[in-house]
Amino acid sequence: MFQVKWLWQNLKGYRAVYITALCLSIFCNILYLTTPYFSSQIVDTYISNENAVENLKNDRNGFLTLIALMVGFTLLRTVFQYSCNMTYEISSQGLIYRLRTHLFKCVQNQDMDFYDKNRTGDLMTRLTGDLDMVRHAVSWVFKGMVESLTLFVASMAYFFYVDWRMALMLLAVTPFIFGINVVFKRVVGPVHVERREKLAKMNTDAQENISGNRVVKAFAREEYEKEKFARSNNDFSQANKNAALMRLKFSPFMDGLAEALSVIMLLGGGMFLINGSITMGEYVAISGLIWAIANPVRNLGIYVNDLQRFMASAMKVIEIYYSQPKIVDRSDAKDIDGRIKGDIEFKNVSFKYGRKTVLEDISFSVRAGETVAIMGETGSGKTTLINLIPRFYDVASGEVLVDGVNVKNLKLRQLRKNIGMATQDVLLYSDTIDGNIAYGDSSMSEEDVKRYAELAAADEFVSKMPDGYETIIGERGVGLSGGQKQRISLARALAIKPAVLILDDTTSAVDMETEMHIQNSLRNLDFDCTKLIIAQRISSTKDADKIIILDDGKIKEMGTHEELLAKKGYYYEVLMLQNEGFGKEAV
Amino acid sequence: MARNRYDIDEVLETPFDFNHLKRSFVYIKRYGRKMILALVLSVFATISGLLEPLITQYALDVTIPNKDVGQLVLLGVLLIAVFAISITFSTIRSRVMTVVGQDIIFDIRTDLFAHLQKLSFQYFDDRPHGKILIRVVNYVNSVSDMLSNGIINVILELLNVIFIMIFMFFVDVKLSLVVLSGLPIFVAVIMAIKTHQRKAWQDESNKSSNLNAYLEENISGARVTQIFTREEENEGIFDRLSNKYRKAWMRAVTYSNLVWPATDNISIWVRAAIFLVGLLVLSPTTVTLGTIAAMTSYASRFWQPIMNLSNLYNDFINNIAYLERIFEMMDEPITVDDKEDAHEMPEIKGDISFEHVNFAYEEGKTVLEDVSFDVKAGESIALVGPTGAGKSTIVSLLSRFYDIKGGRITIDGEDISEVTLSSLRSQMGIMLQDSFIFSGTIADNIRYGRLDATEDEIIKASKVVRADDFIREMEDGYNTEVNERGSLLSGGQKQLISFARTLLSDPKILVLDEATSSIDVRTEKLLQQGLDELLKGRTSIIIAHRLSTIKNCDRIMYIDNKGITECGSHDELMAKRGDYYNLYTSQHIEAAV
Repeated sequence: MFQVKWLWQNLKGYRAVYITALCLSIFCNILYLTTPYFSSQIVDTYISNENAVENLKNDRNGFLTLIALMVGFTLLRTVFQYSCNMTYEISSQGLIYRLRTHLFKCVQNQDMDFYDKNRTGDLMTRLTGDLDMVRHAVSWVFKGMVESLTLFVASMAYFFYVDWRMALMLLAVTPFIFGINVVFKRVVGPVHVERREKLAKMNTDAQENISGNRVVKAFAREEYEKEKFARSNNDFSQANKNAALMRLKFSPFMDGLAEALSVIMLLGGGMFLINGSITMGEYVAISGLIWAIANPVRNLGIYVNDLQRFMASAMKVIEIYYSQPKIVDRSDAKDIDGRIKGDIEFKNVSFKYGRKTVLEDISFSVRAGETVAIMGETGSGKTTLINLIPRFYDVASGEVLVDGVNVKNLKLRQLRKNIGMATQDVLLYSDTIDGNIAYGDSSMSEEDVKRYAELAAADEFVSKMPDGYETIIGERGVGLSGGQKQRISLARALAIKPAVLILDDTTSAVDMETEMHIQNSLRNLDFDCTKLIIAQRISSTKDADKIIILDDGKIKEMGTHEELLAKKGYYYEVLMLQNEGFGKEAV
Repeated sequence: MARNRYDIDEVLETPFDFNHLKRSFVYIKRYGRKMILALVLSVFATISGLLEPLITQYALDVTIPNKDVGQLVLLGVLLIAVFAISITFSTIRSRVMTVVGQDIIFDIRTDLFAHLQKLSFQYFDDRPHGKILIRVVNYVNSVSDMLSNGIINVILELLNVIFIMIFMFFVDVKLSLVVLSGLPIFVAVIMAIKTHQRKAWQDESNKSSNLNAYLEENISGARVTQIFTREEENEGIFDRLSNKYRKAWMRAVTYSNLVWPATDNISIWVRAAIFLVGLLVLSPTTVTLGTIAAMTSYASRFWQPIMNLSNLYNDFINNIAYLERIFEMMDEPITVDDKEDAHEMPEIKGDISFEHVNFAYEEGKTVLEDVSFDVKAGESIALVGPTGAGKSTIVSLLSRFYDIKGGRITIDGEDISEVTLSSLRSQMGIMLQDSFIFSGTIADNIRYGRLDATEDEIIKASKVVRADDFIREMEDGYNTEVNERGSLLSGGQKQLISFARTLLSDPKILVLDEATSSIDVRTEKLLQQGLDELLKGRTSIIIAHRLSTIKNCDRIMYIDNKGITECGSHDELMAKRGDYYNLYTSQHIEAAV
C-alpha cells in the first residue's frame, strides 16, 4: 500500500478538499437513500390510502408542500452531488498537476546514464497513461470504495437495528466476498503489470517509428514497420483482453454472492415470516434496502481490479518520482562567483562505460582564453572527454579541474551556465529560429539573436526564409540541412557568451567558405572564452594553441600544428590524406 | 499550412462531422454478428432479471401466508436458477464485448498506423512528434469503450425506453404525454450544455496534445536542456502547459458534470407533474388513483434509461473530440503515393535522367528550376555547392520523397512516378544526414537494411565500413543494446552503423548525403577503399563538403541558384575557373597550410 501513502503525501494542499469530497460523497449517498421518502409519502397519503380523496380535499396545501419538497430536495441533492463531483475533480486535478510537473522536473534532471537506459516511449507512458490511472484512482476508485463502504455499513447497521438475526444471516456472505476478492487481487495484479508493459512497448514502437520516419521511408520499410507495430498493437490488445477476461472469470462469483443476498432474504426471511419471528413490516424494511448491500458487493470486484491497475501504473510513476540523479551538487560544493576564468585541467583522468575503458590516464591543461583542438578516430573518446567538463558523466579516477577546482566541488548549474556547447547530434526544437538561438537566454533581444546568427554564419540563410527568424522549424530541426542545423546550434551556444565553448564537430557539414567565416568569428569573439573544438578537418584545428590527438582513449600526440607536423605522426597523416584530394599541384 | 509547435493549438472544426460517426460504423460493422449476439444475450439477461420481483412477490403474497415451506424452498431454487441464467448471459455478453472492443481498437490503430506510414516527410516535419504519438496511442485507447459497450448500451437503453413507452400508452395516454413532456426540456437543456461542452472537450484534446508535444521533445532533448541550464525555464513552460490543460479539463467537466443532475431534476419534475395533473386536473373523473400510481412507477422506469443515456451521451461528447483527431489524421492526404496503375520497378541498372525538373516545397518558393542532367549506369556523381542550395533536395526527389512540380525523372528510362514506391526505394541506398538508431541491438539496426540478412552478412557489411572493430569491442558485441538518445555510440559510430545498414540493403543506386561528415579522415579513407570495391558498376551520388571525399567521382555538379551551374570532371571544372574552382581553392589554401 506504499502507493496509497505516496498519494496521500502528494495530496498535500488538497487533503482538506479531498476529505471534503469524500464526506460530501457520504452525505450525498445518504441523501440518495432518503429522496424516495417524499414520493412515497404522496403515494401513501393521496393515492393508495383508503381516504386518499378526502386527504387531498382536506389538505391540498400539505400535498403541494410535499411536491415542493420533493422537487426542492432533489434540486438540493443534485447541487450537492455536483459540488461533490467538482470537488473530486479539483483535488484530483490538483494532485495530478503536482505529480506531472514534479515528474517532468525529475526526468529533466536525470543523468545521461538514465537516458541511455530509458526509452522515450516508456517515459512518455509514465507521464501520460500511468498518470491517468492515478487520476482515475483518486477521482473514481477511492470515491467508489468509500461510497460503497458507507452504503454497506449504514444499511447493515439499520438491518441490525431492525432484526439482528436477519442481519447476521446476510452478513454471513461477507467472508466469501473477502476470500474471493483476495484471490482475485492476487491474480489480477500481475496481469495489469503485464498490460502496462505492453502499453509502454507499443508507445515506444510508435514513438520510434515517428522519429525515424525518414529512415523508414529511405529503406521502404513501411511493411516491416506495420508488421512490427501490429505485433505490439496485438500484444497490448491481448493484454487488455487478458485483464478484462480475468475479471470476468471472477465476476460471476461476485455477482452470484450479491444475488445470494436476495436468495437469503427470500428463504431466511420467508422462514422467519412463516414462524412469526419477524413482521411483514420488518421484512419489507430490509428487503427494500437489499440493493444497498448488494451493489457494494457487486462493485467491490471492479474496484479491486481498478486498484490493481492503479498499483501497476503508480509503481512506474513512483520509480521516476523518487529517482535521483547520481551526479548532483556535493553538500560542500563551492559557489562560483559569477563568471569563471576558463582554466581547464585534466589530471590522470580515466573513464569507464560499463566495463569498457573509454578514457585512460588523460592529462592536459588549457589556460583561460586558449583554444584546444581534439582529433582522433571515430570512437576514440573525444566526445566522452568533453562531456566530463560539464559533468555529464563523472570520472572513474583522476580529476577534471576548472579554474583549479575539481568540477565535483562546484555547483553543477553554475558550472554549466559557464559552458556553451554545440553537440554533435544537433537537437533543435520545434520552435522559431529566434527561440532556438535564444534558448539559453530567452530574454535576448532580436538584435542580439541576429548578431550571434551572423557570427555563426546563419544570418544569411535565415534572413532568406519567408518568416526570417520567426520561421518555425520542425522537431529536431527537420527541414533544415545538416549544415544549417549546425550553424543554428553554434549560434545558440555562442549566445550565452560562455566562458568555455565546446564545439563537438560543429562544422562538419558546412562548406569551406562558411567554415572560414565561422573560424574568423571564433577568433574575434567579444568575450573571453576558452575553446575546445572537436574536428576532423585540419582547417578547423590548425590555429589551435594545442592539438590533442586521441587514440583508443589515450592521448597519442599533443602540441601545436607545427610541432605535430614535425612529428610526422597521426596528425601529419591526416593532413596528407586531406591534401590527397587536391592532386599533385597542392604540394 | 504553417508549422505547428507545442504551444500552438491545432485548428479544429466546431460543428460535428457526422461522417466521422459513419466511419466508426465501418469498424463496428465487422463485428456486427458478435454485437448482435451480445445484444440478444443482454436482452435475455434483462428479461430473466425481471422474473426476480415476480418470484418474490408470489412468495410474499401466496407462499408465506400459506406457510408453505416446501414451496418457499422451491421458489428459492427458482430464484437461484434465474440469477444463474442472468449472470451467465451477462458474463458471456461481457466476454464477447471485451474482445470486440479490443478488436475494434486494434483495427483502428492498425489503419491509423498504416496511413501514417504513407504520409510524406512534410507531415512529420510540420508538427511536433508528440502530437502524432498521442493520437496513435492515447486517443485510440480512449474511444475503445464508446465504440463497443457504449453502442450496445445505447441500443439496450433505447429498447428499454421504447418498451416502457408502449406500456405507458396502454395504461393512459394523457398521463403518458405528461411523462413525455419532460423530453423537450431534456433535449433543450442537453443542447444548451452541449454547445459549451463540446468546445471544452475539443480544447482539452488540444491542450493534452500540446502537453504531449512538449514532453516528447524535452525527453529527447534532455542534454541540451542541461547544458543550457534551462531546467527552470522549461519547468515554467511545462507548468504553464499543465495548468492550461488542467483548466481545460476543469472547464470540460464543469459542463459534463451538469448533464446528470439536470436529467435527474427533470425526471423529478415529471413525477411532480404526474401527481399534479393526475390528482388535481384529471382525477377523479378521467383517471383512477390506481392508474396514477402505476404511471408514477412507469415514469421512473422511463426516466432511468434516459438518465443512463445521458451518461452515455456525456462519454460520447467527450470521446468524439478524440475520434475526430483520429479520423482527421486518417484523412490527411497522402501526397506521394503509388499511381493506380503503378508497376514494379524492374531491377535497376542505374541510368538516371532529370528532364526539366521544377520543384518547390511551398507554393511560390522554387527550390529547383528547370534542372536537367543525365547519369549513366555505373557513374559516380558528386553534388557540391553552398549549404541549402538544394543538393539534398535533388537526391530526395530521386527516391520520390517529394513529387516534382514539373518535368520528369527517369531511372533506366522508367518514369519514377509510374512505378511503385516500395520497388523504387528498396533498390536505392540512401544514407541521410541524420543517422537514426532504433532501440534494439546493433545487429538489429544493421539488419534493418535487409531483414533476411545472416549474421555473416551483417559482419561483412560492418567490416567494409570499418565498424566491425568498434562493435566487437563493445560489451555484448553485435548484441549490444543501443537506443536513439543513447550516448553509447559516438556520432561517427552511428554514421558507420547506418552506413553498414545501407550497404547491406544491396542498393543499385547509392546516395550518400554528408554520410561521412562525422567520421575521421583516416577511417573514411579505409572505408572508401572498401566501398570502391563494392560499388564497382553501381551508380552513386555523393554530397560532401570535404573535397577529398569527392575527388574520385566521375563528374561533379555544382548546385546553386536553383539549378546546376557547373558540371564536369574535377579537371574540367578547374580549368573553367568558376564556382567550383573558387570552392576548391579556398579549401586547398586552407588545407595546404
